[in-house]
Amino acid sequence: MSFLGRIRSAPKAPEVKRAELFDDEFQRKLEMLSLLSRRIFSGQSRAERRSKKQGSGVEFADYRDYVPGDDFRYVDWQVYQRFARLLVRLYEEEEDLGIYFLLDTSSSMGFGGGHKFDQARRLCAALAYVGLKNLDRITIVTLSDRLEERMPTTRGKGRIFKVFQFLSGLETGGQTNLGDALRTFTLQHKRRGLAVLISDLYDLEGFEHGINVLRYNKFEPYVLNVFDRKDALAGLKGDLSLYDCETGEARDVTVTDALLSRMERVLQEYRKEIETFCTARKVPYFAADVDAKIEDLVLDMFRRGGFLH
Amino acid sequence: MFGLHFAGASWATLLPWFAAAAVATTLLYFLKLRRRAVPVPFAKLWERVLGDRESNQLFSQLKRWLSLLLQLIMLGLLFLALGDPRPVAQTARGRHIVVLMDASLSMQAVDEKPSRLERAKAEAKRFVRGLGNDDRAMIVQMDMHPLPLGPLTQEPSELSAAIDQVRAQDTPADLGRALAFAEDSLRGLPNPEVLLVSDGALDVPESVPAKLKFTRIAVGKSASNVAVIEFSARRYPLDKSRVEVLLEIENTNDRPAPIELTLYGDGAVIDVTHLNLAANEKLSRVYSGIAGVNRKLEAQVRLANGKSDDLPRDDRAYALMPERRRARVLLVSSGNTYLEAALLLDEYLDTTYVDAKAYPPKEAFDVTIFDGVAPTRAPHTGAALYLNPPKDGSPVKLEAPLTDFGFDRWERKHPALKFLALGDVQVARGQRLRPEAGDQILGASDLGPILVAGSRSGAPFMVLGFDPRDSDFVLRPAFPLFVLGVIDSFLADDISYLSSYQTGENWRVPTQSSATTAELFTPKNERLVVPVQAGRAAYFGNWAGFYRLSAQSPDQSEKSAHEFAANLGNSLESHIRPQPELKLGARTLQSASFGAPSIRRRSWAYFLIAVVALSIFEWFTYHRRVTV
Repeated sequence: MSFLGRIRSAPKAPEVKRAELFDDEFQRKLEMLSLLSRRIFSGQSRAERRSKKQGSGVEFADYRDYVPGDDFRYVDWQVYQRFARLLVRLYEEEEDLGIYFLLDTSSSMGFGGGHKFDQARRLCAALAYVGLKNLDRITIVTLSDRLEERMPTTRGKGRIFKVFQFLSGLETGGQTNLGDALRTFTLQHKRRGLAVLISDLYDLEGFEHGINVLRYNKFEPYVLNVFDRKDALAGLKGDLSLYDCETGEARDVTVTDALLSRMERVLQEYRKEIETFCTARKVPYFAADVDAKIEDLVLDMFRRGGFLH
Repeated sequence: MFGLHFAGASWATLLPWFAAAAVATTLLYFLKLRRRAVPVPFAKLWERVLGDRESNQLFSQLKRWLSLLLQLIMLGLLFLALGDPRPVAQTARGRHIVVLMDASLSMQAVDEKPSRLERAKAEAKRFVRGLGNDDRAMIVQMDMHPLPLGPLTQEPSELSAAIDQVRAQDTPADLGRALAFAEDSLRGLPNPEVLLVSDGALDVPESVPAKLKFTRIAVGKSASNVAVIEFSARRYPLDKSRVEVLLEIENTNDRPAPIELTLYGDGAVIDVTHLNLAANEKLSRVYSGIAGVNRKLEAQVRLANGKSDDLPRDDRAYALMPERRRARVLLVSSGNTYLEAALLLDEYLDTTYVDAKAYPPKEAFDVTIFDGVAPTRAPHTGAALYLNPPKDGSPVKLEAPLTDFGFDRWERKHPALKFLALGDVQVARGQRLRPEAGDQILGASDLGPILVAGSRSGAPFMVLGFDPRDSDFVLRPAFPLFVLGVIDSFLADDISYLSSYQTGENWRVPTQSSATTAELFTPKNERLVVPVQAGRAAYFGNWAGFYRLSAQSPDQSEKSAHEFAANLGNSLESHIRPQPELKLGARTLQSASFGAPSIRRRSWAYFLIAVVALSIFEWFTYHRRVTV
C-alpha cells in the first residue's frame, strides 16, 4: 500500500443490527428453501443430504452379494425368488452438507457507505439460515488479502443468532487478494463442500485466481457478485484526483459525462467477464445488485439459477 | 492611449491596479484548480476507461485556460468601466464649463418667485440637462470666496445636486476671484467656457481671462428696494444708561419712496418715523439719548404702504450694546474726597469704603482702589488700582522720589487713557516706578515711569506713582474719567466696543483668552466651531444678525459666552437693479444657449453589462463543467 493509501483510512461499513438482516416474514419464506448441491460430498453426521456412504437411508443405492453377517432384513427376497441369488439391498447414507460462506471484507466492500457489504451480509445470513434449517454444517469465513475471521462450523437453525452476531461484528478493511486468501482457506478446510463466495470481485490480481483455487481443490464454488452501480461515480465532474480505496494509488482525471458513460460500460463489461468465466467453468454465478431487495434475490433469482430449491 | 481618453480614472492609475488584480485572480485560479481527491473502489477499472487518455489533454487544458481567460477579460472590462474610455477626438469636441452661480446678497431679491437665486438654480439645471454628451461642467458658488461644489463632470444628476447646494450669502460676490478660479480650473482643457448665472449686480474686475469664452444666464426683473445701509450704536461714556444711535437709509429706486423707519430696543418699539425718500436718496439719522435699552437694538425700514420691497434682507440692521452690570468697587482709603466724588459719577458702580485696617473684607469685589496703602492683596478683591503706594506692598518697585513732573508720554490708545488730555497735569512730588518684565508703562515723565499696568498671580493691577492730591490732576475733568476708565478697562468695558460687525469681512471677536476653539451660533442657528487666536475668535462673516459665541479654557475652569451683532457690509449690494447687459472687459456676455435634454451614452455602462453577461456565461459553463 502506498503512503497515500496508508494515510487515507479505509472505508468502514456501518454496523448492521440483527433485525436489519431480514424480518420474520422473510424468515418464514426461507423455511421452504434449501441449498442445492450438484455434487455429493461426504458428511460428518446424519442429516438430510445424500452421501457417498451407503447405509441406513431410504434412498436405494445398489445390490451386492450376501455375505455372512449381513442383516437379513436387507436381503431382497424377490430377486432371490427370480434368480436364486442372495443379494443384499444397499441404501444411501443421508449425511449433512458442508457449506462455506466466503465473505469478502476488503475495503472496496465498504465503499460508498457500505451498501455492498450490507447486502453481502444479508445474503450470507439468508443463505446461512437456509443451510442451518436443513441441518447443514455452516461455516462463515471472512477474507480480504488473507483469511480474516472465521465463524466456527455450526448446524441447526437455532444457531442463526450466532450467525447474526458474527456478521454484525464484521468490519471492512484491507486489500483484496482472493487467490491467496482462498488458498489458505482450502489448506485449512480439508472437508469439501459448497463454497459460496460473496464478493464484489474487485481483485487486482484477478478474480479468476480465487475461483480457480476453489475449483481445483474440489469445492463446489458459487459466486455471488455483489455490485453497486454507484461505483461508477455518476454525478461527479471536473478535475479530480481518483485514488483506489484499497491501495491508495492515485490518478488525476478530468471527469466528463462521456467518461462516466464509458465507466458504466466498463463496469458492465467487468461483470459480464466474470459471468462468462464462471459459465464457461460451470460455476454458478449470480450478480447481486445492492439496490435489489434481498427477498427478490433469494426467493427469485437464486431459485431460478438453481442455487436454491 | 490607442486614441482613447480615460474620462474616469486615468490609465496610469488603472494599469497597476489591473496588473495586481490580474495576478491575484490568476493565483486564486490556480488555487482553485487543486484537484479534489475522490476515492474509487477499484482503480483498475478506471485505467481501462482512461486507457491512453491523459488527464492533461490539450482540449482540457484549453478549456481551463478559457475559464481563466474569461475571468481576466471580465477584470479588464471592469477596469475599463472605471476608466470610462472615450475616443480622443470625441473628448476634444466637448466643452469644459465652469458655472459661476452668483450667491451674493442681491440674489436674495424676491422680484422673481420665489427668489432670484431659486430662479438661477432652475435655469442652471435646465442648462446642465441640455449639455452635450462630451461636455463637462463644474458648479461654483460665487460669493466673497468662490466655492466649488463638485468636480468637472458630465453627470447632470451630480451637477443638479451641486446646484441645489448653492446658498445665498449676506455678502457681495467677488467676480474677479471667481474668474481667476475658473481660469485655473480650466487651464489646459479644450474648449473652456465660463457660464455666469447672475443678476449682474456685480463689481466687474478690470482684467478678465482672455482665453475663456463667457456666456451668461441673466436673472432678475425689477429693482424696488430701500435699505438700511449703516447702523451703529454706543453708550455715552459718562452715562452708560443712555445710547446714541447712528442710522443711514437709502432709496435705490429711480422714483421717490415713502417709508416707515422703526427702531427697536430689546424687542420693543422705541421710535417710528415716516419719511419720504427721494429717488436714490441717502438719509442719515442720529437718535440721541435713548434710554431704556439694555442690549439689543434693531432698525427696520419698510414701504409706507406696508408692502415689502424686492430685497427684504437689507431692510433690517442690528446692534448690540455691551452688557451693563453693577461693578463692585472697594475703596481702601483713610478718606479722599476727590476719589469718592469721581466714583459717584457712575451710578452702575456699587462702592464700598473701608479703612486699611479693615482690609480685606469678607465680600468679593471686582476692583479695589488702594489710596496710599498697599496691604497684602486678597484674591477675592479683584483687580487693583494703587494710588501712590508705599514702598512695602507695592506691586512695582519705587525707584526714586520725583518732584515737579508731569505726563510727558502716555498710551493714548489704552482704554483707561483714551480721550484724556494729561499733557498739562502738574505733579508736585511722587515716585519713579520700576516695572518688571511683562508690565506695561502707560504713562511716564521725562524722569521715568509714573503709571504702570501689569498682572501679579493672574490679578491685574495699575500703579500711579503719585498721590493725585499732590497735583492738579484732581481738579481736572480728566481725573474722574481716568478713575472710571481704569475701572472700565478692568471690567473689559472697552470704549472701543463694536456694536456690530460687517459681513464680507474676517471677524476677530474677543473671547476667553486661553481657549483654542469656540462655539459660534449663527443667526440661522447653525453651530460652528471656530478657531481662537490670542483671545479672539476668527470667523469670516457671511450672515447679518445676532451671533452667540461661547468658549472655555482648556482646563474648563473658565468659561465665557457673549453675543454680538453683524450687519450687511457693502451698501452696493442693495443696488439690485438687474443688468440685462454685462460687460467683462471689452466683451459683452452673450446669453447661454440651452440644448435639448439628451440620452447619454456611457461606455462604462456597456462594459459593466459585458461583465455581467460574461459572469453569467462563466457561471453557466462552470456549473455545467464545461470549463473545469
